Formats: sequence, structure tokens, C-alpha cells
Amino acid sequence: MRHARSSSLASLLMLAATAAPAQTGEGAATGVTAAAIEAGLADPTRWLTFSGDYSGQRHSPLRQITRRNVHRLAPRWTFQAGTYARGRGFETTPLVDDGVLYVTGSNNYAWAIDARTGRAFWEYRRTLPDDLTYGASAPVNRGFGALDERLFMVTLDAHLLALDRRSGAVLWDVELADYRVGYAATLAPLVVEDKVIIGISGGEYPTRGFVDAYEPATGRRLWRLHTVPLAGEPGSETWPSDASAARGGGGTWMTGSYDARLGLLYWGTGNPNPDYQGADRVGDNLYTASLLAIEAATGRLRWHYQFTPHDTHDWDSNHVPVLATLPWRGRDRDVVMVANRNGFFYVLDRVTGEFLLGKPFTATTWARDIGADGRPIVLNEDGSGGCLPDAHGGTNFNPPSYDPRLKLFFVNARETCASFHSQPVQYAPGQATTGGVVWADRDKAFGALRAIDVTTGDIEWEFRYPQPNLAGVMSTAAGLVFAGDQEGNFTAFDSTSGEELWHYQTGTSIWGAAAMTFMLDGRQHVLIPSGSVLFAFALPEER
Amino acid sequence: LLVAWLALSLSIDAAESTNPFENDEAAIRIGNALFAGRCADCHGPDARGKLGPDLTQRWARGETDESAFRVIRAGVAGSSMPPSVAPDNEIWAIVAYLRSISVVPALVSTGDANRGRALFATECARCHKVGGSGGALGPDLTSIGAARSRAALTTAVREPSATVALGFRAVEIRTRGGDEIAGVVKGEDAFSLQIQTLDGTLSAFAKRDLAGIARSTDSPMPVFDAARITDTALEDLLAYLGTLRGAPRQP
Repeated sequence: MRHARSSSLASLLMLAATAAPAQTGEGAATGVTAAAIEAGLADPTRWLTFSGDYSGQRHSPLRQITRRNVHRLAPRWTFQAGTYARGRGFETTPLVDDGVLYVTGSNNYAWAIDARTGRAFWEYRRTLPDDLTYGASAPVNRGFGALDERLFMVTLDAHLLALDRRSGAVLWDVELADYRVGYAATLAPLVVEDKVIIGISGGEYPTRGFVDAYEPATGRRLWRLHTVPLAGEPGSETWPSDASAARGGGGTWMTGSYDARLGLLYWGTGNPNPDYQGADRVGDNLYTASLLAIEAATGRLRWHYQFTPHDTHDWDSNHVPVLATLPWRGRDRDVVMVANRNGFFYVLDRVTGEFLLGKPFTATTWARDIGADGRPIVLNEDGSGGCLPDAHGGTNFNPPSYDPRLKLFFVNARETCASFHSQPVQYAPGQATTGGVVWADRDKAFGALRAIDVTTGDIEWEFRYPQPNLAGVMSTAAGLVFAGDQEGNFTAFDSTSGEELWHYQTGTSIWGAAAMTFMLDGRQHVLIPSGSVLFAFALPEER
Repeated sequence: LLVAWLALSLSIDAAESTNPFENDEAAIRIGNALFAGRCADCHGPDARGKLGPDLTQRWARGETDESAFRVIRAGVAGSSMPPSVAPDNEIWAIVAYLRSISVVPALVSTGDANRGRALFATECARCHKVGGSGGALGPDLTSIGAARSRAALTTAVREPSATVALGFRAVEIRTRGGDEIAGVVKGEDAFSLQIQTLDGTLSAFAKRDLAGIARSTDSPMPVFDAARITDTALEDLLAYLGTLRGAPRQP
């Protein structure tokens, strides 16, 4: 391996040569600092947290790739992961620091990869038990968190690991929950100051969701917030019994956002369990299908907003909450925005949780409107009165992006036509309890990338795809939106007009993943995972 | 339907050794929906195979509902077929659905299979292949007699547009140059269309080069009504199609 400018390789070799306990000792301020994560995308060579920064905007300030030159974008290398998630995606967002990519893959593989060549420095592969529960049906992972020289990764058997980013060696390994009951973990951990924040999957099983904070150096748990309250706790009155609440779901499987000034985490919660059968859990089923504002220091719940009370559609609210400051009726307000699986786009005051706006961004017939109190006026609960978004929703966990200059929110919307039919449920640890089936008319389904004006909720433009998709979105300050689709295209659009400017066929569905971008050797790189391949694009080098 | 399901699912015993939903229409519909969500990605929307094998031939090979249940429950070691943790009733419903679309008993017909073969050669073979010879526009019919009931075959001849699988739906396109081309849609993304023209040629177009795309959920197959194929001739054709049961699969 020879490189003219290989500072990362050189430093890696030096570390290997001088590896000593002192390297990981106190005060060795190497690697990723909490301040650098908080600074977000200020350093163009780095991408240090799932969404790029704490805002969840997934909006890069980089401007080398423009509307004028994007048609020349070309693959620079591809990385073959050699591991695949059947029926799902390569859902990770790589992190990059000092020319090295840190990437997680399906089936709990992970790598450190040279960002110049796509060659791996090391591969990690977890030995997984052969009786995984939820983790067997969705063997995916969405990325690392990073702090100092440590990488943090959750596993399909519901553990949290810290790896040494220089070797891939496991530094510590803690169990989050018993996977045999139905728990699994798939999200990218969020590092906030001196804590690693994680969430849990498994809402299709008799599980009870939580958000946890761990100490980065040791893996010691600092706090846990259960998303479903038990008797005596506020919200428990929205469940018929402790038994129903204890298996009530409310997974937390998508990385949240963070407001450092308020010290608040914003975290979505998933469906109540069982998914489609509400008779066993009469009530609103707090805090499922909700957005939670959580004090990062203590894990205390500051406020909540429930998008879909008593959900019976598997409409998880596991979305990336997008933080922004908007002029709102004459004054600036700090808001949090969510395009929800129920087909509505929401703007909430992120200090108080006050409902500001809720408007459909799909053709859903589920609710007429969101009332002034923030509660939906539901017209068609089960699809007998017209098309409802299917169980994958009006959009899903696939990250949206937000351009603060244009005040446009970009999201891959799914137009589907489903009805929901419940069944009785037998509860047993380790058995999925969907509690019904969904019938969807495939001939009425399509997808669309939509640009939502966040001050009105109106659709500014859309670009249609033959099929609905679960592909993520990234935008840049150069006026570009990069989005994937179900048919496998990775496409660049003009963020003002929605005009398609460039596309590349990756060969299989882009599923769950969104692009990331960074500067390397003076060239802007754009990365997208698809299938079992990670693609790196850049403009051709001047010769 | 919900009521029917309630009654059924309450009667299920986890230790059941025969399928409690055999031939049960309500359960088959539920199994169809479950299959579409969980299995179709690999086995294809019609279970006739994609990344994973064709599941409609199992029963013809002597496999049972119970063996299908066991495979779904345990997965297939060394393949990408994972074990399932779904409740028993959901797996049985999927098995009932698969069996409902699977190979059928030998077709009974009063017709003459030899006359049917001759009719097939003149009316059908331009588009349909049997045992390696014939056209390429329509589905290969080498084992259709094992896959479709008499009623389904009759409908397929008399009303070909009643059910049309993806990949066989008619489309007419007009290029910016003014050419009009008819065929079936084999694939499509936001920017391109892959079609097979009526003469069997594979042809792809960039959507930006097209002035119009007229889609249909119909089949381009002609309607063979009684004026075109008499009821007697149809009996002969059915007798011939009934003999097309393919080659037994090697285990």
C-alpha cells in the first residue's frame, strides 16, 4: 500500500509500533472529542455521528459538487461487505475521521476502511447465537457512535460493544436486554458529552422499550428510561393492566437528536405490541408511537408528544427528529420536525413540546386533521373507509434531510393502499406477536421524494418513483438532494426545483440508508451503501 | 373474515401435526398476505422462485404440509433461509396458501391430447415454450399442468387478462421519434423501462427518450373465445396442457 499523502496510514502504523497502555490512558485526547461531535460538520473532513450533527438535518455545508458539475460524479471505489440482510438493506451511515471510515454492516460485521481506496484495515465479526429473535428477521445495523479512540456498536443479540478503533478489538461488552424474549439492537449509538445513548428493537415481541445511557470508558449504565410506564407511574392509566404494559413494545430503534443548549435528547418510540391488535391494550398506550424529550443528564422525561394514540398499524415513530429554528408567527422558535409513518408532517416546539403544525404529506385517509390540542381526528382506523398507509407507513425510519436556507424538508414518501385486520394473540417469550395481517393493493403503490415547506406543510415539489421505498436522503448547501430508491438508483436532485441532475444504478434497493459526505484530499466524496456494497463517489480528478 | 379467523385460531394446538387450515379460504387469504410481506422478496410474489426456490412444486414431489411447516420454522442451514419465530397459526396459514397455489392433481378432460398438441402448435407456441421449444413472450408452460387447475387454465385461455403476473403486463410506448412499440413490461425504474416487444425482442428505453407510455394491467395475449377455439377444441387443449407436468425435480 503506497500513498503520496497517507497521513492516516502513517499515524496508524505509528500507533501500532508504539501501542502502549498510555495510548488509552486518561487525558490522552486522541480521536474524537465530544466538542468535535457537537461542532457537527464544521470540519469538512469529518462525519462523526449518525446524522452528521446533533440536529438530525443531514445537511452538509460542502459545495464542491454543484448543480452544474454533479452530472460528472463517478464511482471512486466500491467496498464489498460480503454480508447481506435478506429483504432489508445495508443501512449504515459510515463515520469518517482522518481519512479512515468506520462502518458497520449486516449480521454485526464492522470495518475500518481506507477512505482513499476502499481497502479495509480490519474486520470485526460478532459471533451471534443461532436463536436470535427479532435480530434474525432484520439482521441490520445503522452505524457506529465514536468517542476518543472508541467506537460503539449495538448487536442483534441486544448488547452494546466498545471497539478500539485502531484494531477492532472489543474493549467492553454489556448486555442491554435478553434477546431470547424478543429484544435486538440495530441503531447507531448517539454519543452526547460523556454518555453513549442507545435504544432497543423488538416491538413485535412481548418486550418493553427503553432508552439507556452508558459510560463510554467502562460500559457502566448511567440511566434507563422505559418508554412504557408501569403502575404508579404517569401514563400507566393508558394501559389496561401492568401485564399489557410490560409487553407493550415502544421500541427506540432509531438514533435520536440532541439540543446541547437545552440538554435534551429527542427520541422516537415504536409501535405498541401487539402491532395490529388493540383489544388487549385498550387506551392510548403511552409512550408508544411518540416523540420523547429526555434530559440527557438524568434520563428524566421532560415532555412527550404522541403522534398515533393507540396505534394498530405498526406505525412506529422511529424517525430521526429534525431540529431547526424557524420564524413562527412573528418570532423565532426552536422546533423539532417529524415526517411520520402515519402520513402527517409535524412541527413541535422543542422546548415545551407544544404542537405547532400537523399536515398530511401523503394521501392518507386515516385522520381528517390534527386538532388544536395536537390529537388526531381519526376517520378511518382500519382502512375500511379508504386507503391507509401500509405497515411501512407514509415514510419510515429512512432519514430525511432539511435545508435551513430553503426551509425545505426532503423525505421519501410512500403512497400505499392498505387495510388492517386483527387477530387474537397468544403471548410467549421469543414469539412474534403481530396480532393480525395487512392487505395492500400493490397496483396502487408508488414512491415520491417530496420537498415540504416547513412553515406551511405544503409540498413544494415531488419526484415520483415506480415503487415506494425506504431510502434515506441527504442534502447539501450547494443546492443538491441525494436520495436512494427501491429500484436501486442513487439520484441527485436540484433542491429548489426537484429536477433530476444525475443518477447511478447501484444494482439493488437502497433500503434504510442515507448518504453521507466529506472532503478528502481536496475532493468531496459522497458515500451510499446498497445491498452488500458501499459506494464512494467523487468528481473526476483534474489531470 | 375476522370472525372466521377467531374460530380457527382458537382451535389451534401448538402440537398440531396436520395443517388446521388446509383448504380454508380465510386462512389462505391471510397466508397470502403474510407470504407477500415475509417470503416474497426471496421466493417471488407468486412463490415461483426468485433468489430462493420455486415453492409451488413441493407437493408434486411428495412433500407434505408438515415438512413445509418444519422448513419455515427451522430455516435451511447453510442457506439464506432463516428460521422463523412466527406463531404456529401464521406458519400454517402460509403453508395453506402455498398449497393452494401449488401443483394440482392430474387434470381430467374428455378431450384428445394429441389434437390439443396440434392446436397448441398453431395457436399458442408462437409465444409459449414447452420443453425448450416455442416462443418467449408468454410464460413457459412446460409444467403448467402441475401448477394450474382445470378452472384456472380455462380462464387463462378464455379471459387471459383476468390475472396477469408482473412481467407479463401489456405496454405501448411512443418514442420522441414517433415510433410506436408494443410489448410487456419486464422491469422499470424512475429513469428507464425494460420491455419485451411482441416479437420477443428484449428492448430498453430511457424514459426521457419517450413521448408516451400507455400501461395496462391486461395481457397482450388474444382472447380465445368460443368463436376462436370451440368448447370441443378447448377440451382437447386442456387434455394436452394436463400432460405438461414438467420433469420431476432432483432432490
